[in-house]
Amino acid sequence: MDKNKKVIVRFYRFKNRLKEKTAGLSPGNAGISLDALEKAEQALSKMAEDYPDWVSSLIVKLQEQHGRCVDTPEKRHEFFEEINHIAHDMKGQGGTFGYPLITSFADSLYGFTIKKPGDISDNQVELVKSHVDAMRAVIRGRVSGDGGDMGKKLAQSLNEAIEKYSAED
Amino acid sequence: MSDYDFDRVNVLLAEDSPFIRSLLVNCLKVLGVGNVYAVEHGGDAIHFLQRVKNEPMKIGVQNIDIVISNWDMHPIDGMMFLRWVRRHKDSPDRFVPFMLITSYTEPERIIQAREMGVTDMLAKPFTIKHIGEKLASIIERPRQFVHTSSFFGPDRRRRKIDYKGPERRVLTDKSEGVEIIRG
Repeated sequence: MDKNKKVIVRFYRFKNRLKEKTAGLSPGNAGISLDALEKAEQALSKMAEDYPDWVSSLIVKLQEQHGRCVDTPEKRHEFFEEINHIAHDMKGQGGTFGYPLITSFADSLYGFTIKKPGDISDNQVELVKSHVDAMRAVIRGRVSGDGGDMGKKLAQSLNEAIEKYSAED
Repeated sequence: MSDYDFDRVNVLLAEDSPFIRSLLVNCLKVLGVGNVYAVEHGGDAIHFLQRVKNEPMKIGVQNIDIVISNWDMHPIDGMMFLRWVRRHKDSPDRFVPFMLITSYTEPERIIQAREMGVTDMLAKPFTIKHIGEKLASIIERPRQFVHTSSFFGPDRRRRKIDYKGPERRVLTDKSEGVEIIRG
């Protein structure tokens, strides 16, 4: 191309090196077999068995942070930041392992612990506890899926707590 | 059909949740990926790629073939990391396939990622099948990269539509102002 002419768009077209690298001895005919996917799926479900333990350990951490909020009110912002971080960690994948309620409770906890200016009230701290209690009930009762009646009850009592404590603020 | 041989493939994984990180590492290993380098957030990932560029022998990694990154991470999130990979002069490979994992699936979020040059997105909650399909798509259907004054990334037109009407696209490969770079 003439150097003086302005380039409007450049297209980069490269050889498919990744395909050369992965297709091995049978180029054009490789894929991921059902067998390989099956094995990977099994590894995932094995990890899913550990999921409640992992969540339990995070619930313990949340509980510790809640205790600190009660004991040291002047540092609540710091503790809320940690709570927010843990909640974010929890909310991502509950659904994959059959615990969508954990995801939705963690999501709610995450939402109201996002950093805001102003003091953090006792009610807000109490609301952390309501969330922790609800999550603990889910894991203790192994309430998977939407949890049926038990799940509805848990979600409902958490919502009531949210209404109660937010209204008083 | 034979399985892809992922044995020589290097994947860089940035994910801040320890549980999800080990889950993804396991999934990739079971699918046969030879090397998975897992880091905790975008900042660590950038640092890792700088080392790939500057001291490959020392860390024993010549190149990264696929980047998989969570979106929502602290302090450097997946979008900032993606921007760095695509635009920064220190990036070792501005064309590397980049897959964002996210629970943000609102259309405006997807568009935001696409405009930043993402290769593919994996929605949470994901399954192994999703991961496998995305990997296969990255290998089988790479897209040309487009560089204009306002965009750099994989071609945003991904579907091949059998279009019978008159050609109305202004630029073709032969138009003035179009430069094709092959490699």
